[in-house]
Amino acid sequence: MRTNRVTLLLVVVLVTSTIASAQASKAPAGQTLNTTSLSAAADVLLNGSAVWDQVPAHRISLNRTPPLYDTDEPASLEIPVLDVRVVRASGKVLVQMSWADPTHDSASLPEVPNTPPETRFLKLPTEADDRFFDAAAVMLPTKPRAVTPSLQMGDTDDPVRIYYWNAARGPMLMEAAGRGTTRRTGASFAAHAAHEKGRWTVAFALPDLPAGTPLAFALWNGSQKDRDGRKYFSVWQALQ
Amino acid sequence: MSKHQYAMVMDLNKCLGCQTCTIACKKLWTDRDGTGYMYWNNVETRPGMGYPRQWDRIGGGWKNGQLQPSPLPTMDDYGHAWEFNYEQRLYEGKKKPVMPSPAPTSGVNWDEDVGGMNGEENYYFYLPRICNHCTYPACLEACPRKAIYKRDEDGIVVLDQERCQGYRYCIKACPYKKIYYNEVAGKSEKCIFCYPRLEKGEVNACVAQCPGRLRFVGLLDDPESPVHKLVLVHRAALPLFPERGTQPNVFYVPPFNPPKRGNYDKSILEDSRLPLDYLIYLFGSEVRDVITRLEAELKAAQRGGRSELLQLLIGRDAATRYRIHPELVQIKL
Repeated sequence: MRTNRVTLLLVVVLVTSTIASAQASKAPAGQTLNTTSLSAAADVLLNGSAVWDQVPAHRISLNRTPPLYDTDEPASLEIPVLDVRVVRASGKVLVQMSWADPTHDSASLPEVPNTPPETRFLKLPTEADDRFFDAAAVMLPTKPRAVTPSLQMGDTDDPVRIYYWNAARGPMLMEAAGRGTTRRTGASFAAHAAHEKGRWTVAFALPDLPAGTPLAFALWNGSQKDRDGRKYFSVWQALQ
Repeated sequence: MSKHQYAMVMDLNKCLGCQTCTIACKKLWTDRDGTGYMYWNNVETRPGMGYPRQWDRIGGGWKNGQLQPSPLPTMDDYGHAWEFNYEQRLYEGKKKPVMPSPAPTSGVNWDEDVGGMNGEENYYFYLPRICNHCTYPACLEACPRKAIYKRDEDGIVVLDQERCQGYRYCIKACPYKKIYYNEVAGKSEKCIFCYPRLEKGEVNACVAQCPGRLRFVGLLDDPESPVHKLVLVHRAALPLFPERGTQPNVFYVPPFNPPKRGNYDKSILEDSRLPLDYLIYLFGSEVRDVITRLEAELKAAQRGGRSELLQLLIGRDAATRYRIHPELVQIKL
């Protein structure tokens, strides 16, 4: 009986420590993202400028999430390498992400008119129901804390803010406090995206962030039906 | 498991394929942006392709407690919602004929009345379909957002538009392909069993408008309800594809057409106008017993006896066909 209790205690301690290490780490495990301060206007930089070429790129290796559901097709494409450049300008943190993606999964979705549908004879059609779009996101803690939130969309005590951009739907600000809790806030942010020669270059304008803020990155490839947790992700990186 | 369970019984012997139910549903619920191609309620010809095409053969549902894989149907499988060029013809003076665009290649009952052959004779019947509001919904299990839930008070399965992110795992998981993706909204949607109507004591729109009066609605656990009587007392109605494991709450009285011409003395099973194999494919092997029961009731009535089951299936008035419980509403505004 006593042995059983000791074993149980050990299991509890092990499980607790494993969960704790998975959910919160004391320092970001990734690299330090050095920033370059520029005097150019943030919106000029955001919309694509040759100045970006002068900014050193951080090469960030990505991971592929393991298959989440038995019924899902396995991901087959090569894991891309993400180049990240960070600039401080006009009181903003501009983050440029660039990665190879030969399949350009985007669409011009029709703009929903302001008039309510019941007043219109013609309604907008659903063009396709089985396509998924390329996307990218930057996640950061909602509030500064000594520990970084869980990579799985934060925790109840450590919520996260997600700057999410979708090739068809554009940028949208999201919030989450744990896996499965991600929700659109209804707010947006400034972003610019271009797909050229088999590469996406996407830039986000984030608010001014203090040095040491952890950032994590994620990419989705629409061609292999990426959405939800089916994605590529980085570990936390520390902004300088 | 919900406290109560609304259910529907459709008598396939009475369906005339008029699509009035389809239009009643469409005008009420899916006359919005992005919903042109979707029909929460549809009527399809059986045997046939179905809507979306081959939905019954592509997977989904449960097997040994595990969700089964399935591809997403494409717009070609559903059929694009076409519009007509009335503007050009009527207002711009172009002498073009009124034509649909994009050119139709498939639709909600595309192979209407084609049916199949039983020996040298053609046969078909109509199969009206809505969401089955299953007891064990595969769609609910598949959603990582927990956007789908089964209402505790009445068992209706609904999809929370606030929580849905349009991932479409639910569409893949549903073995009946009764959830649809609205690309304009970026969210999926489905039949809501007209719960706002039920909460006001009104029956579902598809039921209210049915000229064939073939739909019966009530709580499966209410002994006075017609669905309780048809499914559990008379055992005259069966769910579609019971082996998919979701335990549907829409039930069908199988078609029991009389034997072929010249075989009046034979029983339906001896000389079936509709191939029994096909009915077993749709409703499982229990369909044989159900048809036997229905035929016995019919013969008893033909001999001058009274059949409570047939009287119920005739469904002369609303009180016979529906029994709605608006008092079940939990959230009162």
